[in-house]
Amino acid sequence: MKTVLVADDSETILLLMRTRLELAGYAVQTAVDGQEVIERVVASQPDLLLLDAMMPRKSGIEALRELRAAGYEMPALIVSAHQNPGDADAPTDLEIDGFVTKPIDFDRLLREIATLTGAEATQGS
Amino acid sequence: VIGVGRFIQKRQDFENAIARSYQVEMAARVQVAQGTGGVGARRVVLREANHRQELRDQISDDTRDTAILVAAGLIAGLTGALLLFSGLIASLRRPLEDLVDAAGRLAAGDLSTRVEIGGLSETATLGAAFNEMAGQLELEASRREQLDRLKDEFVLTASHELRSPLTSVQGFAELLMLERDNLTPSQVETVQIILDNCNHLVRLLNDLLDLARSDAGRLSVRMRPTELAPLIDEVVRTMRAQTDSSHQALTEQLESQLPTVEVEADRIRQILVNLITNAHEYSPEGANIEVKAGIVGDEVEISVSDDGPGIPETQLDQIFERFVRGDAGLTQRVGGTGLGLAISKSLVELHGGTIEADSSVGRGSSFRFRLPLDGPAPQPEASG
Repeated sequence: MKTVLVADDSETILLLMRTRLELAGYAVQTAVDGQEVIERVVASQPDLLLLDAMMPRKSGIEALRELRAAGYEMPALIVSAHQNPGDADAPTDLEIDGFVTKPIDFDRLLREIATLTGAEATQGS
Repeated sequence: VIGVGRFIQKRQDFENAIARSYQVEMAARVQVAQGTGGVGARRVVLREANHRQELRDQISDDTRDTAILVAAGLIAGLTGALLLFSGLIASLRRPLEDLVDAAGRLAAGDLSTRVEIGGLSETATLGAAFNEMAGQLELEASRREQLDRLKDEFVLTASHELRSPLTSVQGFAELLMLERDNLTPSQVETVQIILDNCNHLVRLLNDLLDLARSDAGRLSVRMRPTELAPLIDEVVRTMRAQTDSSHQALTEQLESQLPTVEVEADRIRQILVNLITNAHEYSPEGANIEVKAGIVGDEVEISVSDDGPGIPETQLDQIFERFVRGDAGLTQRVGGTGLGLAISKSLVELHGGTIEADSSVGRGSSFRFRLPLDGPAPQPEASG
C-alpha cells in the first residue's frame, strides 16, 4: 500500500482528502503545516506529498524546498486555491510534479496520484 | 505741464508789460498834450507802441510754441496711455493663456498640471484657485485609484478564500454521491442540487477572479500557435450534450482553410463556451444555434448565432457589461453568472481582437469576435 502525506491547515480538507484517498486504497498521513511535513517525511518517507501551497508558519512550498535540498525526491503535488499554476508564486527552480486547484477535481487528482506512485492497481474511483 | 505753466507765467508778464507800456504811453501823451514833454515825450509814445508790438509778436510766438507743446504733450500722453493699456492687456493675457493651456492639460487627464501664479492680483487669484482645484482633483483621483486597488485586492482575496470552504462542501457532497447506492432517490436528488450549486459557485468564482485580474491588469494570455478548426470542433461536440437536451440544433460551418493563429487555446475555448452557453440558455427548445468561422480581411471571425428571442436594443448596448443579463423571459432557467460576456470581451481584447453583438427581437442574436491573423499587436505596456 502506497502512503500519501497530505498537508493542509484546514482539518475539514484533511478529513476530505483522507477519506477520498483511503477509499482509493492509499495509506494517509496528515500534517497541518510545513514543519510537520518535514518531521513526517524524515520519520516515515511517504511515497507522495500532497501539500497546500499556503499554510501558516511554513508553507508547502517552503517545506518542499527544504526537503529537496536535503535529498528527498518523492513526487510532490502542490494544492493551491489559485486557478492558474502561474499565480501560485510557483518557484521555477523547485521540482514539483503537478498543481492541484481548489475546488479539487478528485477523479483527476486520483489518476495523477496513481500515475506518480505507480499504484494503478488500487485505483478505486 | 511745465511748458504750459511757464506759458501762463509769460502771458501774465506780457499783460503786465502791456499795461505798464500803456501807463508809460499815457503819461507821455499827457506830457505831449500839456506840451511839457517836448520831443522826448513823443518819442516815448512811439517807442511804447513799438515795444507793445514786439511784446505781442513775442507772445504770439510763445502761444504757437505752447500750442505745439500742448499738442505734443497730448499725443505723448495718449501714446503713453495706449502703451500702458496694452501692457495691462499683455499682463492679463499671458496668465490667462497659461490658464487655458493648463485647463486643457487637466482636461486631458494630466492632474499634476499647475500654473505659475503671477501677474495682476486678479489673475494671481484665478491661478491660485485653479491650482487648488487641480490639487483637489489629483487627491480625489489618487483616492479613487487606491479604492480601486483595494477593491481588486478584495475580490482576488475573497474569491481565493471562498475556495477552501467550497472545496469542502463540494468534496463531501461528492463523497455522499459515491455512496448513492445507500441513499434514497430524494437524498440523491438533494445531493445533486448541492453539487449543481457548487459548480455554479465555482464558475462564479472563476469568472469573478478573471474580472478582478482583468481590472488589476493581471489577466494575461499565453499565446501558442493554435489550429482553430479542431478547437471549435471540440467545443461544439462538448456543448451538444446540453443543446441536445433542449432539442436545439447546434451546427458548425467552418471555412475549409482556417489558419493557425496565435492564441491561448483555453481562453478561446472559454469564449466559445460562453457564447454557445448563452445561445443555448436564452433560446427555447428546438432553436437553431450555428457556429461559423472564416477569414475576413486580415482577421479570423468566429460567430455564434441563434434564432432565439433576440435582445432588445436597449439591452444590447450594455450586454458586455458585467452582471448585465438578457431578460430570460419565457425561456428556460438561465444558469449563467452574468459575467460571461464581460470576460469574453476582456479575453478577446487581450488577444488584440474585437467582439460585437447584433440582434433583432423575435428573430435571434449573433455574437461575433475577430482575432488578428498575425497575433495581437505588441502593447506598449507589455505584459506576460
